Amino acid sequence: MPKRPGSELASRPLHFIWIADCSGSMSVDGKIQSLNTAIREALPHMRAVADENPNAEVLVRAVAFASSAHWHVSQPLRVADFQWTDLQTEGLTAMGEALNLVAQQLRMPPMTDRALPPVLVLISDGQPTDDFAAGLDALMREPWGKKAVRVAIAIGEDADHEPLQRFIGHPELQPLQANNPEALVRHIKWVSTAVLKSASSPASQAAGLPAGLNVPIPTPTAGPSSAADVW
Amino acid sequence: MHQLLTLGSQLPTAAGPCTIERFLGGGGQGEVYQVSVASQPPSALKWYFPQQATADQRQALQTLIRKGPPGPGFLWPLELIEAPQTPGFGYLMPLREPRFHGIVDLMKRRIEPDFRALTLAGLHLSQAFLALHAKGLCYRDISFGNVFLDPDSGAIAICDNDNVTIDGSDPGGILGTPRFIAPEVVRGEARPGTQTDLFSLAVLLFYLFHIHHPLEGRQEAEIKCFDLPAMTRLYGTDPCFIFDPADDRNRPVPGLHDNAIAHWGIYPEFLREHFTRGFTSGLRDPQARIRESEWRLALARLLDGIHYCGQCGAENFHDPAAGSAGTCWSCGQPLRLPWRLRLADALGGAPSRYPVLLNHDTRLYAHHLDPDRRYDFVTPLAEVNRHPSDPNRWGLKNLGPDKWVITGADGQLRDVEPGRSAGLVSGLRIDFGPLRGVLEG
Repeated sequence: MPKRPGSELASRPLHFIWIADCSGSMSVDGKIQSLNTAIREALPHMRAVADENPNAEVLVRAVAFASSAHWHVSQPLRVADFQWTDLQTEGLTAMGEALNLVAQQLRMPPMTDRALPPVLVLISDGQPTDDFAAGLDALMREPWGKKAVRVAIAIGEDADHEPLQRFIGHPELQPLQANNPEALVRHIKWVSTAVLKSASSPASQAAGLPAGLNVPIPTPTAGPSSAADVW
Repeated sequence: MHQLLTLGSQLPTAAGPCTIERFLGGGGQGEVYQVSVASQPPSALKWYFPQQATADQRQALQTLIRKGPPGPGFLWPLELIEAPQTPGFGYLMPLREPRFHGIVDLMKRRIEPDFRALTLAGLHLSQAFLALHAKGLCYRDISFGNVFLDPDSGAIAICDNDNVTIDGSDPGGILGTPRFIAPEVVRGEARPGTQTDLFSLAVLLFYLFHIHHPLEGRQEAEIKCFDLPAMTRLYGTDPCFIFDPADDRNRPVPGLHDNAIAHWGIYPEFLREHFTRGFTSGLRDPQARIRESEWRLALARLLDGIHYCGQCGAENFHDPAAGSAGTCWSCGQPLRLPWRLRLADALGGAPSRYPVLLNHDTRLYAHHLDPDRRYDFVTPLAEVNRHPSDPNRWGLKNLGPDKWVITGADGQLRDVEPGRSAGLVSGLRIDFGPLRGVLEG
């Protein structure tokens, strides 16, 4: 017999989508392996954050893009059930198509009409080889795309920041630069914990938020400098 | 993944070197480790990130350490720790015992305290923040993350006390946690302080008793994307209590806000009135908020009104304002009230409107029987028991050091020495010494 009525606290879904570059250049210097490792490393921390947040039901998916884009993990999975399958590399950088795929899924339906801001994490080491602008337009036409917290990680020094910056769409937030595997692990962990936390239920707030943000994005923690450049 | 201190290393403390044993967790300000000094039981050590280890923080900690904990239940900073080779500083505090669980566990129903423990937790919280405010301090961030409870006993532990400041002294610092921040702070019109703590405490108590937020009704349901602008509107610029008797535009929506609907009606009118006042006039006027002493009194009365359904055993709350005992929230069967003891509110006072319901397991504490020891729920002075040879006869056993004098229906006086019991009979008058009570059945 239940001791008290009711059930657990009502929550809203929070869609978290990895959008990962799997183009040929990601095979150089073990970049894709590092990315696979970094996401695996971050998962337990992501689960811990989700576990500690009663207001959000965190659902994770992943898009991979190379010569074309496809859903690497197509079903939104509760973070507790989410397993990472290694990404494989081939071909070009269809970043625009990847954003298009995401845009289709952020449409209502299939999106529910009540949710927390989705978190979209775009990770790339190069520059788009398709119509990036069309993909971004499609994304930004969707209300959930516009409301999404968009974060980008640039892997290596060849990564083109310009499309990543346009994806983020906010002058005060820049792409995170990962010039070595340690920095990548740190950034991936940051987006899957601190950013996730902010989007779902912001922690204690300090005074003064940058104007124009609909979610308070914490400052990435400063790590060791990228002295040991691998890529 | 800790980064500030090395496990196994040592730092100097007043009692000798402490060894860093275990990483316990990290937050926005620093990291917390389990440490131990020589043969003493382990304590917790919080070490600040370099950018957080400011002179102001150091000064604030020194003030808190000097003032000492406001009362039990606070994991209070005990000693400032610095070391020549380690940058920054930290502080020692008591370690949180494993019996304490976060409020998130309560919200996710991973712990299931009964109503008695939950009410005690609310009472202890009110008591703790009353003591903190009485010292001229304010907490500024009452929320899920900082409060822990023991689901069996209702004991509480309040953490993150390093953000506590002297009320009105701090122009910067944290604003609090969304959903708990008072509307005037959300709107940017005020800084956190004692009055805004009172709002956060009311929100936390509402969450405890309803597993729901007091402002999340139809207005929340109509919000698609629940982001910061939405939260600012809901909790800041257009807040409306979901059960505001004068404004029904934000009622809970069935299917979305079922917890609020399932809980609200099971509490007695006096508790609902407190929440209503706190989230209607108290929403707009910080001076109109429910004080901790009011919560404490209401929750003590709530505790006294708990009784069990004779059919299913569920805890129910007696409502002195209701004409009948009502029906059980769990099984829907009509309730039958047990014996009720009406104690005088004060020395020589009239019997209280709020009786203590005498269940098979009820104990009366110094809180009930000694006006000088209100809210002492540690020292039992009486308990309900059964006659040793006739289990159908119930009595009240004197557990205290002083005799009671009872007056029966026949007007005869009898003494009830410590260790003896008075049989429960309707109309029985008991003179407990400091206070008198009359039995109803």
